[in-house]
Amino acid sequence: MINASWLLIAIPLVSSAILLLAGKRSNSWGHWLGVLASTASFVVGVGALFELLGKDASERVVDVHLFDWINAGSLHVGAGLRIDPLSLTFVMLVTFVGTLIHVYSVAYMEHDTDRRRFFAYLNLFVASMLILVLANSYLLLFVGWEGVGLASYLLIGFWNHNPNYATAAKKAFVMNRVADVGMIVALGSIFATFGSLEFAQVLPNAEGLAAGNQGMMNLIGIMLLVAACGKSAQFPLQAWLGDAMAGPTPVSALIHAATMVTAGVYLIVRSGAIFTQAPNALLVVAIIGAITLLFGAIVGCAKDDIKKTLAASTMSQIGYMMLAAGLGPIGYAFAIFHLLTHGFFKAGMFLGAGSVMHGMSDDVNMRNFGALSKFMKITWITFGLGWLAILGVPPFSGFWSKDKIIESAFATNHGEGWQPWVFGLVALIGAGITAFYMSRLFFMTFHGKARWSSEESSELVHRHPHESPALMTWPMIILAVGSAFLGLVLSLGDRFVTWLEPVTGHVDEHEPVIAVPVLMIVTLVLVVLGVFLAWRQYGAATVPTTPPHGSVLTRAARADLYQDSVNEAVFMRPGQYATRTLVFGDKKLVDGAFTGLAALIGTIGIGLKKLHNGYIRTYAAMMLAGLIIVLIVAYVIWN
Amino acid sequence: MSAQILAEASFQAPSIQWSFLVPLLIIAGAGVLSVLVEAFARQEVRRPIQIVLVLGAQIIAFLDLLWLAVDTFGAGGKGPSLPVNQALHFDQWAVGIQAVLLICSILATLVMIDRTAAQQDPFVATAAAVPGSDYEELARQRGLQQTEVFPLMLFSITGMLIFPAAGDLVTMFVALEVMSLPLYVLTAMARRRRLLSQEAAFKYFVLGSFASALFLFGAALLYGYSGSVTLYGIAQVAQGHAQSGASPEFGLLIILGSILVLAGVFFKMGAAPFQAWTPDAYQGAPTPISGFMAACTKIAAVGVLLRILNFVVLLAPEDARKALLGGIWVIAILTMIVGTVVGLTQTDMKRMLAYSSIGHAGFIIVAIMGMNEDTLQAVVFYLLAYGVATIGAFGVITLVREVSDRGEVLGEATHIGQWAGLGKRSPLIAGAFSVFLLSFAGLPLTAGFIAKYTAFSSVIKSGVGANVDPSLFNPVPLVIVAIAASAISLFYYIRVIVLMFFVAPAEEREATGELTQAGPNVADPAEDGDDGVLKTEAVRTSVVLLESTPHVEVVKSQGPTLAVIILAGVFVLAAGLFPTPILDVLGSLFGV
Amino acid sequence: MLDSMPWLTILAVVPLIGAIILWCIPAAKSAVAPKAALGVSLVEFVLLILTFCAFDRSDAGSFQLSEQVNWIPQIGASYAVAVNGVSLLLIALALLLVPLVILAAWKEQGVGSAEGEQAVVAANRLRHYLALVLVLTTFMVLIFAARDVFLFYVVFEAMLVPVYFMIGSFGNGARRRYAAIKFLLYSLVGGLIMLLAVIGVYFQGPQGEHGFLIDNLAGAINNPGLEKWLFVGFFIAFAIKAPMFPVHTWLPDTAQHAPAGTSVLLVGVLDKIGTYGMLVLCLPLFPNATVWAAPVIIVLAVISIIYGGLLAIGQRDLMRMIAYTSVSHFGFIVLGIFTLSAQGLAGASFYMVNHGLSTGLLFLVAGFLFLRSRDGKSQMIADFGGMQRVTPVLAGVFFVAGLSALSMPGLSTFISEITVLITAIDVHPWAGAFAATGVILAALYILITYQKIFTGPKVEELSDKPDLGAREKWVVAPLLILLLVLGFVPNLALKYLDAPSATSVSVVEGAN
Repeated sequence: MINASWLLIAIPLVSSAILLLAGKRSNSWGHWLGVLASTASFVVGVGALFELLGKDASERVVDVHLFDWINAGSLHVGAGLRIDPLSLTFVMLVTFVGTLIHVYSVAYMEHDTDRRRFFAYLNLFVASMLILVLANSYLLLFVGWEGVGLASYLLIGFWNHNPNYATAAKKAFVMNRVADVGMIVALGSIFATFGSLEFAQVLPNAEGLAAGNQGMMNLIGIMLLVAACGKSAQFPLQAWLGDAMAGPTPVSALIHAATMVTAGVYLIVRSGAIFTQAPNALLVVAIIGAITLLFGAIVGCAKDDIKKTLAASTMSQIGYMMLAAGLGPIGYAFAIFHLLTHGFFKAGMFLGAGSVMHGMSDDVNMRNFGALSKFMKITWITFGLGWLAILGVPPFSGFWSKDKIIESAFATNHGEGWQPWVFGLVALIGAGITAFYMSRLFFMTFHGKARWSSEESSELVHRHPHESPALMTWPMIILAVGSAFLGLVLSLGDRFVTWLEPVTGHVDEHEPVIAVPVLMIVTLVLVVLGVFLAWRQYGAATVPTTPPHGSVLTRAARADLYQDSVNEAVFMRPGQYATRTLVFGDKKLVDGAFTGLAALIGTIGIGLKKLHNGYIRTYAAMMLAGLIIVLIVAYVIWN
Repeated sequence: MSAQILAEASFQAPSIQWSFLVPLLIIAGAGVLSVLVEAFARQEVRRPIQIVLVLGAQIIAFLDLLWLAVDTFGAGGKGPSLPVNQALHFDQWAVGIQAVLLICSILATLVMIDRTAAQQDPFVATAAAVPGSDYEELARQRGLQQTEVFPLMLFSITGMLIFPAAGDLVTMFVALEVMSLPLYVLTAMARRRRLLSQEAAFKYFVLGSFASALFLFGAALLYGYSGSVTLYGIAQVAQGHAQSGASPEFGLLIILGSILVLAGVFFKMGAAPFQAWTPDAYQGAPTPISGFMAACTKIAAVGVLLRILNFVVLLAPEDARKALLGGIWVIAILTMIVGTVVGLTQTDMKRMLAYSSIGHAGFIIVAIMGMNEDTLQAVVFYLLAYGVATIGAFGVITLVREVSDRGEVLGEATHIGQWAGLGKRSPLIAGAFSVFLLSFAGLPLTAGFIAKYTAFSSVIKSGVGANVDPSLFNPVPLVIVAIAASAISLFYYIRVIVLMFFVAPAEEREATGELTQAGPNVADPAEDGDDGVLKTEAVRTSVVLLESTPHVEVVKSQGPTLAVIILAGVFVLAAGLFPTPILDVLGSLFGV
Repeated sequence: MLDSMPWLTILAVVPLIGAIILWCIPAAKSAVAPKAALGVSLVEFVLLILTFCAFDRSDAGSFQLSEQVNWIPQIGASYAVAVNGVSLLLIALALLLVPLVILAAWKEQGVGSAEGEQAVVAANRLRHYLALVLVLTTFMVLIFAARDVFLFYVVFEAMLVPVYFMIGSFGNGARRRYAAIKFLLYSLVGGLIMLLAVIGVYFQGPQGEHGFLIDNLAGAINNPGLEKWLFVGFFIAFAIKAPMFPVHTWLPDTAQHAPAGTSVLLVGVLDKIGTYGMLVLCLPLFPNATVWAAPVIIVLAVISIIYGGLLAIGQRDLMRMIAYTSVSHFGFIVLGIFTLSAQGLAGASFYMVNHGLSTGLLFLVAGFLFLRSRDGKSQMIADFGGMQRVTPVLAGVFFVAGLSALSMPGLSTFISEITVLITAIDVHPWAGAFAATGVILAALYILITYQKIFTGPKVEELSDKPDLGAREKWVVAPLLILLLVLGFVPNLALKYLDAPSATSVSVVEGAN
């Protein structure tokens, strides 16, 4: 199956092409083709997975060469796939969650006239994401990298007849492009240092070349990080993720929670060999992760839009993964582990949110929800499991992955002195805040008093909440199961970590600066505290339907800590001004320089013309004067 | 070249070798004959006879000249000689120049003999009549024909043929006058715009005499310098001084003399600062004559310029030589600037061509400044390309007429605004005219390009690498000026093409209310419409006549002009695409 | 038999014959002209394929199918043509675009709308226009095949005339005359400067009756001071043609007023002559001067990239916007060339081809879009809106064309751009890094434009406009397919471009 792994990409790609070219003709069956394609590549993936499990750990990194891609001068890149535990983990996540979400969308998008196009884009995304994770060279990875960006643009802007949505899509794409500059520079630097872009030539040689090229290594690391920040909505390139919620909810679940946004983490773990040689870059990764972790958590506490809250939480959770990755070899595996579990529970919760919106006529404002647990039981339970998972309550998935990250943050592998303490405490506090805002979301939506009513008479918003159809609930149920037990299953005997070792390498942990049991207890206490606070404010008490003025911090958080205002003030407006100025300058100065010259010559002509006034005396005088000038010149030269 | 000249100098002149004079005698004799024809032939037959005479004489002369050339300079030929003691040269340059000259004069004659469908030739019925007088009106109604133009033409050509061949300053002066006097008269004989024509003739005459005076004075000084009027004599003395460092006042004499003599020549060439008469004269003269002057006068004058340069200037002591060349540089640069920059602002087709011819005079001088073995070939080819295109262009002008609403053909529509939309009405004529203009502009695939190329490359050749002659200036800067000048001149050539092909005729624009200024120009901002074009006085480079009472069209004529136009057009293109044969002939003539 | 034929001459002559035929068609019968023109261009395309068969790809680095006869031996000019991989692909690009342009022009010059008397006039205009296109084709073949500096120069100048008329008398907008003359004057002035250098080169070379053959001149110039001047002479002409900052201003005006088809050929092919000239004349003839000037030129290139991008963002007229994107793209090409490394040159050459496809597609689709505006010819971006819901196919094609302009992976433009950038960062890190910011600008100018024209609420007057018709689909399909295929298997093209690049680089390195 490994040799046929190109099918993983080909199937969804072809299906998406068919759907786009077939046009309206495929409206009736298009969505099923989409589901089929995604399922098919899942099956292929499973096949590959078992084949790989068949091999013993040392042979679990397989490069499949497909064809010579680029041969230009000394730049030789082949199109090939790297099948190894890391890439297959992603393949599983993408195809499995992807397939579930395809199924979900069949129902969710039922009433949309362009459902076929939606599935074409979804398939395109799956294909690109698989290229991203399966590529065996940085250049091919970049192809997938851009591909998912494109798919994300198309899906965010799926309803682009609404100008704001179109703008949101553009914003996402442009901010990713900013990050791509980092990627391109990284590519160039890698080529300059290693003379190749294929993992097989680059990663193994990192250690050897590190000696002479410390600076280069750090540069590459930082530039890769810039790229990752864009894709994974990390500080300071996080602004697009919130707006990206303009896309249909399944998109948010698949792309902007489970898979694409985690690509940044993948990139860094994949490049682990380089980062290990670039300690400074690695430190920056950890710092960025820590900042984003808190940033997202704080924003999450204030949002009333259910999807934006989840988006903020995604941001913060990826912050955790970044932090983990930033801890170096010790953290790589846990980053991926958390990425995996997060993929499940966050996707599950997004689908739950979608289901809620479905029942609440596409309202996203949690202040109009409340007490929905009675009306949509399945949604409530599945969402609840996701909630417990993200809180990190044992034995649910989140606990296994997140706790490990907190432990490693406190560990001293990655640096002595302040580092364990700072990163550890950030991770710890983050857990507390997460508990608060996720519980806030959960209680505001499913518990407390209903802030809507089904009677026309009431002054509350008028809703008819109802459970979603099976096509939507089943994916939620499956994901919920995953959120519940995946972590437990995979961490028995460090299964997952050992599975990843061929890629991340084996590290024996140092003792954290605080004893592990203590850490666990402290974490749990904080979580419980968070839940309690949230319950007191949003579960027990009545939630005002209009948001209170709130403290400075609250208002700042509502405004995403003014990220957009900053971007506009620093980049957008100056940019627009510069453009306008240049357009003017191009016409008046650059073009003017040439046209002006022409005008000048014209003027001189007019002037000289006056000499030809038709009078013989003038002409004769001209001749004489000219003659004298000539004579003078001659005389001067003669002397 | 100079070495070869001195070799000849030692050679004793035999008694007159008539065979070499035959071409001259044919033309001169034909001139005398045609005077007799004027006197004795009956009015109705007079014109046909004259035409046969004029054309026949030139063609025979041309053929004989070719035969002589082959016989003398071909394999086993005797080489250059002095048929009339030292008064005349029969050498490669004389022959080359004369041949080109005859080709052009024949074409010019063809244009001249043409008549409109209404039997109107371009010349006034009775030149003697006071403009606007009853007598003139009467003569016009009687349909009187003017045929004195033909003998005048022949005499002028005689002078032109002798001018570049002249071996001493006296012959040169006589030739100059023989060539000029008939032209003064011819200029005054335009059928329409009589006053303008007469004024032009008068200016031409007065300024021409002024120039002649300068020439004579210069000749006298040169005689004073060398005690001889023959070029050989002067050359020997000059070179003598060159070898034995000359005393200063002598040096000054040769400088003064040469510059004054050259002034007379430059006047005929229409080089600045002696160019002022050209626009007025070309505008006033009957158009075929303008073409004739623009082409042939210039050719003859260039011949003389070459001769004086090689006999006097190049042999002078180094300091004097540098001084003279410096003077000529000034003239060359002035000429190019005036020709192009002032040309930009012209709105009258004939004046524009006049300035174009000034500009070309400048380029030719630059070409001559190369002063190496390629120069002659380059210059003669340039003259040929330029002359043919010029006559063709003036020929076109004779056909583009104002036509009254009653359909009678009026004068030429010389205002460039009137040419708007010509390309739609008669693509052939407009196309031919564009070809001539592109050739003037020196665009590839036209003779003009090859001409410019050979000229400039011959100059650069003596400016680069090992070829630089320390005793001369490095002429490359001149070429750079020339390049800049042709860049500017592009503008007004192309402007006319735009006008002919891209702009609707004035009356149509009136109809559609698109009363916009016709000349596109590089000097206006990109966004606003054509009406925004006339922003500054500086760019008011062309105007459309909005009062469009008589409309403009290409009139039917008896044909020769059309033939000339097509012939010239074909030549310009052919010589642009495959100049090899011509270059071969010239090459073998000048032994390149 | 295949390689014994004078393919290049045949390729050059056939369109000329076609043009003459078109001109011979009586005005009344003008209606057949488009079919005739298309026929000729297709025949030409078949001949092109045969030429490809005759070309030995394994030896793409050296010039093949060469023909040589004396032309003007007195001045050393010969008719010498030959092609290596790069020239061949550029000829192919031109000959691919020509039929599409002709097909796209089918309804231009008012043929679509006019009735009765007017229709005849329109058909007649179209006939002349297409004839000019064919004449231009001849010149395009010749200039990319020329192996003689004089021949190159003559064609370089002569081909301006047909374009001049294509813009001046068949263009749109009251200011087309201004655009035409501006185009002509800029190019001619550049040409005159080049003329000086051409003459100078001759006298530096072996001279004689083959003194202008590039092969004889390469390496012949051994006067360092003069070499620099000559290089500058050539480079200025090429920079104007390309066009590079600061001599680019003629392009927007021209593109704005030229018919869409003309813009395709102008920007898609003719402008390549500038960069192609740098490749086949500047590098081999002036290797030392090239190295000497490279830093300055690279700076100019980077400025062009960013400057062009910023100005494209600021345009209100779609054609002007596309023109400015080309300024940016040519910056990339020049950057690639003057990295003077094999992969850089290969990338740049590939970029030339891709840019032809991409910009060609963009201009063509834009032309189709304008036909669907209120007045059937508006080019203003602001006059459109919500077109994606009205004309989904057109929107899709435009979007893909846009993606190719911002070099999205999967489309061939990505390969060339990333190759150039990687090389640039490798050779001149800072220049490369700055150039890389161009990708942000590209995203902005494409997506902003797309958003304004195609997304948002529909414009009422436009809501009944038809989507792309069959003919129009045929026009865009080949370009779309090529962009995709070359995007996935770029080696198809790189096989032709890699060897020549290596050769040129070795020449430069050999001299230094």
